[in-house]
Amino acid sequence: MSLKNKLNRLKPHLASGNQPKKIEKPPIVPTIDVPFREKWAGENIFPYYMDQDYCLIREVKYPISEKHGIYYFHDFLTAVELWNKQPVNHPLSAQGHQPEDLFFFDTETTGLGGGTGNTIFLLGYASFVGEELILRQHILPHPGAEVPLYQSFLEKVNYKTLVTYNGKSFDWPQVKTRHTLVREHVPKLPAFGHFDLFHAARRLWKHKIEKMKLTVVEKEILGVERVDDIPGFLAPMIYFDFVESKQPEGMLGILKHNEIDILSLITLYTHLTFQICGIDEKQTRSESFEIGRWFAGLGEKREAEKVLKKLVEGSDFPSYQAKLALALQHKKDQNWEMARKLFADVVDSKDEKLTLEACLELAKIYEHKVKDYKSAIFYCHEAILIVTQTSKLPKLTGEYSYEQLKKRSERLERKLAKFPG
Amino acid sequence: MLLKKSLQDILSELKINDDFKENIVKWHTLDEKPAQTVSLPQDLHPVLIQSLQSKGIEKLYTHQKAAYEKIMEGNSIVAVTPTASGKTLCYNLPVLQTILSNPNARALYMFPTKALAQDQKSEINEFIQAAGVDINSYTYDGDTPANIRQRVRQAGHVVITNPDMLHSAILPHHTKWVSLFENLKFVVIDELHTYRGVFGSHVANVIRRLKRICRYYGSNPVFICTSATIANPLDLAEKLTEEIMHLIDNNGAPSGRKHFLFYNPPIVNKPLNIRRSATLEVRKLAGQLLKNKIQTIVFARSRVRVEIILTYLQELVKNQLGPKSIMGYRGGYLPTERRRIEKGLRSGEIYGVVSTNALELGVDIGQLQVCIMTGYPGTISSAWQQAGRAGRRHGEALVIMVASSSPLDQYIIQNPDYFFNKSPETARINPDNLIILIDHMKCAAYELPFKADEQFGSVGTEELLEYLTEERVLYRNGDKWYWMNDSFPAHNISLRSASQENVIIVDQSDVANVKVIGEMDRFSAMTLLHDEAIYLHQGTQFQVEKLDWEEKKAFVREVDVDYFTDANLAVQLKVLEVDKLKTMDDAEIGYGDVSVRAMATIFKKIKFETHENIGSGPIHLPEEELHTNAAWISINKPLAEMGHDRLEQGLVGTAHALGSIAPLFVMSDPQDIHVVPQVKADHNEKPTIFFYDRYPGGIGLSEKIHSGMEVVFAETKEMINRCQCESGCPSCIGTETVSESAKKDALKIIDSFLQSSISDKEV
Repeated sequence: MSLKNKLNRLKPHLASGNQPKKIEKPPIVPTIDVPFREKWAGENIFPYYMDQDYCLIREVKYPISEKHGIYYFHDFLTAVELWNKQPVNHPLSAQGHQPEDLFFFDTETTGLGGGTGNTIFLLGYASFVGEELILRQHILPHPGAEVPLYQSFLEKVNYKTLVTYNGKSFDWPQVKTRHTLVREHVPKLPAFGHFDLFHAARRLWKHKIEKMKLTVVEKEILGVERVDDIPGFLAPMIYFDFVESKQPEGMLGILKHNEIDILSLITLYTHLTFQICGIDEKQTRSESFEIGRWFAGLGEKREAEKVLKKLVEGSDFPSYQAKLALALQHKKDQNWEMARKLFADVVDSKDEKLTLEACLELAKIYEHKVKDYKSAIFYCHEAILIVTQTSKLPKLTGEYSYEQLKKRSERLERKLAKFPG
Repeated sequence: MLLKKSLQDILSELKINDDFKENIVKWHTLDEKPAQTVSLPQDLHPVLIQSLQSKGIEKLYTHQKAAYEKIMEGNSIVAVTPTASGKTLCYNLPVLQTILSNPNARALYMFPTKALAQDQKSEINEFIQAAGVDINSYTYDGDTPANIRQRVRQAGHVVITNPDMLHSAILPHHTKWVSLFENLKFVVIDELHTYRGVFGSHVANVIRRLKRICRYYGSNPVFICTSATIANPLDLAEKLTEEIMHLIDNNGAPSGRKHFLFYNPPIVNKPLNIRRSATLEVRKLAGQLLKNKIQTIVFARSRVRVEIILTYLQELVKNQLGPKSIMGYRGGYLPTERRRIEKGLRSGEIYGVVSTNALELGVDIGQLQVCIMTGYPGTISSAWQQAGRAGRRHGEALVIMVASSSPLDQYIIQNPDYFFNKSPETARINPDNLIILIDHMKCAAYELPFKADEQFGSVGTEELLEYLTEERVLYRNGDKWYWMNDSFPAHNISLRSASQENVIIVDQSDVANVKVIGEMDRFSAMTLLHDEAIYLHQGTQFQVEKLDWEEKKAFVREVDVDYFTDANLAVQLKVLEVDKLKTMDDAEIGYGDVSVRAMATIFKKIKFETHENIGSGPIHLPEEELHTNAAWISINKPLAEMGHDRLEQGLVGTAHALGSIAPLFVMSDPQDIHVVPQVKADHNEKPTIFFYDRYPGGIGLSEKIHSGMEVVFAETKEMINRCQCESGCPSCIGTETVSESAKKDALKIIDSFLQSSISDKEV
């Protein structure tokens, strides 16, 4: 800031000769020029002034009766209600939250990956207020205007939990990085809870979708159609062009893209909730199994069993997966007989990987619990057979390696010789 | 069974045995030097005193205390410390003392390699443990697991890293290191002397960036440098850090008795003045030592030479010692392999190691008794560094320098006084090399925007920022320049090599298990990894089956042949701009920008043992172009009486001789400065000899030659005169000349220049 500007700002505090003592507080008439201000205003985008700089803010409201993809926005309210009604322990659980507490967040940046010089030029977020969904986007009009950008952003932020797509490893660390550079001029970043839906999506659909990009999940799972969308990777180029030309057109395209990303987060969160709580009627058996396995991994035994038990009927792949998962659960609980039965069922699955695991587990149970060495040897040999004949499995290590299995088999032979009983 | 001989036995044998004694042209004994010590500093924290005492240290060497005092007064220092003189205490004491009184204080240690960083971490941690205090020191490099990185960033009092990591991982992510940069009290730069030439010029810019970030976070660290003996430690430290430095050179460490032998292989061809190959002599000497299980390190100048000697020695002693008891060590081996060798040397499982200058640095390999250099390492300080590898901490040691036929080697070996009395070379850097500077300005702008009045380097910062703005890399808004590009600039800039992309070496001997066994910079790859080249790795021969130049991959397969390959590089040179020109009666000296185009042309197959040429083949690789600085001298007098052919031969010979003397005067690796003759230079149509820097943009070597051209010529003349051959030999003007009069003509050419510069002075 030049000395002159500084003095101007300090004017009310300076003793001045013959001017009237009491001046009306001067209306904030910005001395700065916002290029294409009318055009921006036409798109509901207005400048936010601070000191001698500004950023741009767009605000859009949607009624909750609007639909995005396969869900209405009000379905999200149902989702939050679900979590609060049937308290299950889950990382995505909104238990104890009101719908207003969640904050769907996405950024656009000038480059890929982390690093101080990767500038965030768009902070977009949406949240529910009563019967409305309010979406805001804070735009960096040029490099250097980050103080107004973060100031305006932090003024609006009073939520409890972020909902992002890969925000744990990208968006939020990058916000922290860029915030550090202006930390002396703007408020501190508040602490948030964080639901990162990327990991959830990968859990559920990694077999179905190769590249777990949000745009792909939208299309394949959420029924979202994008029309004339600007691909995300072009965003930096378009932004650089915008910085030079100041023309809003390109930027408007990015805003649209970012807006859909954020709206899809709401749909995705709703869909994931319905999946996890088991109320999606179109849920596939494979999705159902992944949910069950997820609960098992979290140590939510009761929930896991509830889901998996529904799957064991039948002879498709998920039924064997479910049996194996349940069997492992029984093993953990030392219900050896239940575990043995289920493992034995899995041996018929015709899937090498599942069968191999089941055979090894059976060999262990027969050796250590049942003390039936003949059966143990049988399953151990089955395992060796799979290991030596397969070409499909990735390189086997540890107890699945050929050497280890061979050792086990030799040990069993020795035991059998000793206790032929 | 024969009794094993001790080093003493070998020493007496060298003195009397005709096989050796004839060839020893100088036997220089360096007497042992007693320690000079002083009492521990009075203000030293009791736990540090206790820790020192637990290691049996009751007193400090004079240089350690001087360093401590200067640093505690807030001065930046550079300490000149030979091998094994306890240099680590020079920085560990003040750093730990400071952290003990202010637990928020932070220090950043920088070592040129990961291996050295690992060594230092163990050493400082031992010290901290003995003191029983809560100080965290961590290494931060490519091997640091992701799960402890955050801890290092936030809680590491001492962060130990290397310049490459600082450049590409720490500085570009400085916002994650706030607690380090806000509280940074010390920056330790060990092995300062390694930061010269291109690498040093890069690192100087990395330090500019580091200081810029420190200023941003409000810290102003003290710099502590340690260096091997070079002529200008103070100057180098000040250039590298742009800080006022204090020189600490009162070394008080003791040293053992050391025998330094100059060994000149016997002449096998009198008229051509050809000596027996240094490689074969080294085989004989090292073989003797290794058979007696005397731990020996052999240095060789090139990677190929290392592998050849390794092959010889492994063969020679395979019955006495296991094949794994002698190993090679050089850049291009993978890190795990190198760690294993270092460990083997320390534990004594490995008796011999054959190395390039990679082991010159302070990698801890314990005490070796003998050091043999295959040829003069190129610089005085490098030779002393290598010699320091023998007898680091104890008793008597033997160092043998075996000369090759090269003019430089012969010059050194016939002038022992030059070596033993002359101060070592000057280390030069040029941080303002435009190419290097602009690369780091990009990184700096990525890290923090530039302000209008900011200085970065000594050339017009604003002009460069404007240039980058036009290139659409930066964006100017008001009085600041912002990074405005989607790339991560540090990833495209390597500090180590002139050409930024390395060639990966892929071993496909076992089709089921194809693996990467090493890498090499692009320029070297042109002559070492071309199709059909024999590439040696740990003594194993590989033939290059295909060099994929586009993909930067060389596919090799193990072979067993009795030859190695040697490639020719054809060079074309064109003057782009003349910056300085001095015209005299008979000659003119110029300096300016040139374009050099190099192309690998043919390779020769050379038989082991006899070193005869047994075949050749073409190399099909695209030309590489280099824009750099050059100094040149052109002769005005047509020297018409010589005729075209003799003039050409004379110039080739002169260039050869100059090329071996020039590196002496600019302390550079011999391959950093090249000499090229032209009978009729493109720009002035006169017979001309060029000296150019082998790095884009130049690093100041040819500029130095330009200012000292007369000295270089006078020394070269003396060297040629002293040579006993009749009409040119490898030890003076080389063997590329066939003409009988080449030697005479070369002298005539040199004279015509020298006379002209003398008359110039008289006027």
